[in-house]
Amino acid sequence: MGFRQYRAMVRKDLLSELRTRETVVAMFLFVVLAMVVFHYAFTVTGGGALSFYTGGMLWVVFVFGALLGLNRSFAHEKDERVLDGLLLCPVDRVTIFLAKMTGNLVFLGLIQIVAVPVFVLFFAPRGMAGHLAELLVLIVLADLGIAALGTLLATIAMQTRARDLLLPIVFLPLVIPLVIAAASGTSTLLSGGTGASGVLGRLVFLLVYDGVFLVLAYGTYDVAIGE
Amino acid sequence: MTAAGIDTGRTDAVAGAAATDATAAAAISAHGLGKAFGRREVLHDVSFAVPPGGFLALFGPNGAGKTTLLRLVATLLRPSSGNVTVAGHDPRDDPAAVRRAIGFLSHDALLYRDLTAQENLRFYADMYGVAEPARRVDELLARVELGHRRHDVVATLSKGMVQRLAIARALLHRPAVLLLDEPHAGLDAHAVGLLDGLLAEIRAEHTFVMATHDVGRGLELADQVLVLDGGRVALQRSGRLGPDDLAGVYREPARLGRA
Repeated sequence: MGFRQYRAMVRKDLLSELRTRETVVAMFLFVVLAMVVFHYAFTVTGGGALSFYTGGMLWVVFVFGALLGLNRSFAHEKDERVLDGLLLCPVDRVTIFLAKMTGNLVFLGLIQIVAVPVFVLFFAPRGMAGHLAELLVLIVLADLGIAALGTLLATIAMQTRARDLLLPIVFLPLVIPLVIAAASGTSTLLSGGTGASGVLGRLVFLLVYDGVFLVLAYGTYDVAIGE
Repeated sequence: MTAAGIDTGRTDAVAGAAATDATAAAAISAHGLGKAFGRREVLHDVSFAVPPGGFLALFGPNGAGKTTLLRLVATLLRPSSGNVTVAGHDPRDDPAAVRRAIGFLSHDALLYRDLTAQENLRFYADMYGVAEPARRVDELLARVELGHRRHDVVATLSKGMVQRLAIARALLHRPAVLLLDEPHAGLDAHAVGLLDGLLAEIRAEHTFVMATHDVGRGLELADQVLVLDGGRVALQRSGRLGPDDLAGVYREPARLGRA
């Protein structure tokens, strides 16, 4: 029954979003606007070694864009007081976590599908074409970490009165190691200098980071979403 | 007498061997149930047993602990002391079995406003693992007279319609036990009539616990009464009761409804 419940929750979240377009539109607008700002800040003022900054730019945009979505993870459950309905169901709490995390991953993936072409258009990174597969693996691993950590913290923040404020305060310091690994890995790949071997250490780090927060969520989610 | 006008001296607790027998066969049984939020104790040493098919009415002023008690039974809260079993299952050992046995109806409909009536029921049908979900959803939508609004999002339904849909949600998985937390709150006369009709229709199919301020309606339906005040049992009686039976407990009966 676990998969049926997981599928029902993911479908419900996607259907709600499709109908209201509250989360993805906000994330999309933020990402495009941030790209435009970075474009004018760095290229118009004549930044020479742009590839040095591009990885950082991209991941700052992704992380803050993701934060907008994470803040809305439980908006329907909390604002419409439906959380009790979800908790009354005979569903393993980890299944709720996985379903919510999947929703957050889908929303993050959607904005990346838009953001990466915009990024290429504005910054024309020269090494991208040669390392597309490595870049894709790096993005997937980093997204998984952002979604795992973010979903867990969004659940905890949901129980508090100042949830919109609390989530960034807790999320951003904890996501910094991931951003450093993802940004430096992306910059390395975009500069065109090295291949997969050059970012292997960062990929392993991201894998470990994902594992840590997935295990942490597995072990604590029952308490996190409980009373 | 307490601030709510309840004489706490008359507690008819079920005790001894008879209670043990009743507990063994009970659809719901609670022993020494207590709940504290930090230092604030909101429920203290509440024990009761409801046999299968029984109807327990929970009375008490606001803040008496009625909703807390229902939430403890429904596994939405963890007890600070004591224990509760539902349909023979202890939520500490098998919370999913307890949740499968419970249908919960409160003044919050627990429905997603952006989904249609049908999508909401289909979602909960999947969550409860209901067999033949499409047929069950159709059956319940017809039963609560909302078949014609099945494709409308919940946000567009009236309060009465939403509450009827909430009843369908609570009954979807054919629960053995129905927990009703002030189900009539905020309904107009027509919606109250529909809800009462539905409750009368399904009365024999489930075990009920209903928290209400409506003493008349509660006594009419119940075969057990539990009165809470300040988180403690103020009165516990079995059998059909009339308003006169509560007269000594409620020295100011009208306060129940407006506390």
